[in-house]
Amino acid sequence: MDLLNPRALRWKIAALAAAACCAVAAVVGFLVHDATRERGQRVGTERTLTRLVAAEREYDRTGRASADIDVRSRDELPEPLARELAGFAEKEAGPPDTGGYATWYDADPPNWFWMWGAVAVADDRFLVVRHDMSTEVRSLQLLDRSIVKSVLAALLFVVPLAALATEPINRRLRHGARTARRIADGDLDARIGPAGRARDEVTEMAAAVDDMAAALQRKLENERRFTADVAHELRTPLMGLVTAAGLLPEDDEAAGLVRDRLWALNALVEDLLEISRLDAGAERARLDPVPLGELVADVVRRTGTDTRVGAADTEVVETDPRRVERIVVNLVSNAHRHGAAPVDVTVTGARITVRDHGPGFPPDLLERGPQRFRTGAGERGRGHGLGLTVAQGQSEVLGARLTFANAPDGGAVATLDLAPPSHPA
Amino acid sequence: MTSNAQAGSVSAARGPAPGPAPVGVLVVEDDATIRRAVQLALERYGYRVDVAADGLSGLEAFRAGAYDLLILDVMLPELDGIGLCHRIREESPVPVLMMSARGDALDVVAGLEAGADDYVIKPVDTAVMVARIRALLRRATFRPDTESPASEESGRDRAPDHVLTFGDLTVDTLGMEVRRAGATVSLTPTELRLLLEFAAAPGSVLDRRRLLRDVWDYGWEGDTRVVDLCVLRLRKKIGSGRIETVRGFGYKLVRG
Repeated sequence: MDLLNPRALRWKIAALAAAACCAVAAVVGFLVHDATRERGQRVGTERTLTRLVAAEREYDRTGRASADIDVRSRDELPEPLARELAGFAEKEAGPPDTGGYATWYDADPPNWFWMWGAVAVADDRFLVVRHDMSTEVRSLQLLDRSIVKSVLAALLFVVPLAALATEPINRRLRHGARTARRIADGDLDARIGPAGRARDEVTEMAAAVDDMAAALQRKLENERRFTADVAHELRTPLMGLVTAAGLLPEDDEAAGLVRDRLWALNALVEDLLEISRLDAGAERARLDPVPLGELVADVVRRTGTDTRVGAADTEVVETDPRRVERIVVNLVSNAHRHGAAPVDVTVTGARITVRDHGPGFPPDLLERGPQRFRTGAGERGRGHGLGLTVAQGQSEVLGARLTFANAPDGGAVATLDLAPPSHPA
Repeated sequence: MTSNAQAGSVSAARGPAPGPAPVGVLVVEDDATIRRAVQLALERYGYRVDVAADGLSGLEAFRAGAYDLLILDVMLPELDGIGLCHRIREESPVPVLMMSARGDALDVVAGLEAGADDYVIKPVDTAVMVARIRALLRRATFRPDTESPASEESGRDRAPDHVLTFGDLTVDTLGMEVRRAGATVSLTPTELRLLLEFAAAPGSVLDRRRLLRDVWDYGWEGDTRVVDLCVLRLRKKIGSGRIETVRGFGYKLVRG
């Protein structure tokens, strides 16, 4: 998958190397092509002039030209030659380097390449030499072709080589990504670590990520220690209170009030500690195969509330029964506190539904999920809104999905799906 | 005390079967209120309760008196509950119930590793604590009731089918004695009870939930770490290969 991803770093770098390779080849190729062409033309011009000089000398001696030399009048000359010769005539003496010899390269690709040379020998009599340049042109074309071929051959090496050369960096980046993901999954001790001798941006990035992980770990551990300390400091006096309150006479109304409020306080402290543990991300599910119907029936029975349990084709689910118990107990007691009887708990497959027949969940909760210390009804003292927050947090630890809805014919419906499709077991 | 009459009636109503010697419990707890309240509460249930305020005096009290059960707080001055539990385990297999104010993994795991049989998280309702105590004591006095009356009279030449052998390990289900390569292995009642569960079904996988229910009398609310750590301790005593982990399910005893 990674190999075929066209946007992977390795292919980007390979493409870059290929582009650089092509650019260098184009520049060098152009320079070589140009120099060769120029040299060919110079050679052609020289040969033409040599023949012209020889012809002129012979003409001076014998008054006639050899067979391969044309003698033409001005009108018979090709246009550019005539113009150049006319230029010499105007300047009288003519430039010393050309000595009155005119040349013209007549190229008409693909097959017409001639170097013309002309010199005036008498009034309106010109010696005209033609030299075939196609050999030079052909060899230039061959040169171009071989340049392209060698560039292609070089690319054949360079691209795989560049792709391979990125492998060490790629490996370090992949290792870094894997480590970061492990940290995200809760392995706070995971570090990328030093990467051999390399001292580059990847090393720096890895060091920065490691520093970040260490800082976060410190912070998390501080928070965890704080929670643990608070737990200890609150639970110790509560334990004394709870045990002492248990010693008060059973049939005394005042003692009953104390016990009742004590349990409310106790539940509140437990909920708060649980939420802070859930927030710290310290909670881990301990999975066991659990017959869901049996578990739910047992849990609901132990709440001591008047709740109907229906279980149809239930499954054995790989889950943490203590957390499922927390969720179900919270949902059921929430239904009894804020909803109205009858409260029905239904288990179907890996799904638990808690339904009451009260006014339903407030729109705020349906929209934004459970909020701490918000019961929605505006009635203080009727629950602290932590129960559903805990249920939500616990279901996240389980990798389950908890949804809140209202039934069309009234009543709140909370659904816990222990095997949501996005979390294949 | 004004509540004496009531306390008496409660203990008569809820207490264990009246016997010549009430069950002795030692509570080691540094918080004075908890110490006294737990003592009073347990005495109402008919237990004989002694208390100690720190780890060292707890150890002295334990050595001085005979106790059927210990309740230790984890956080103690001088010698903490975990250290105390270690020291006690070196001398005695007496059932130990740990009491932790921090429900986090570290305390619980350290306590169970040190040899505690079970743990409760503070604050704990007296009824719950008494249920845990009873479950622990049941294990301490556990005898398999599979023996027929006839076996009692048959003497030592009888075929010892109550002695089970697994490799170098022999488990005498009648004498409640475990030997490894001839040497007696000292097991706590919980460890022994766990081993007997395994010995009753060698080779078959026992899941942690079932063990938690059968050995510790827990329902779904129980913590399976209790099982895992007890298996760990048991392995140290009877050989680490004897009990195999079956990932995702539980454990099984290796026959040969």
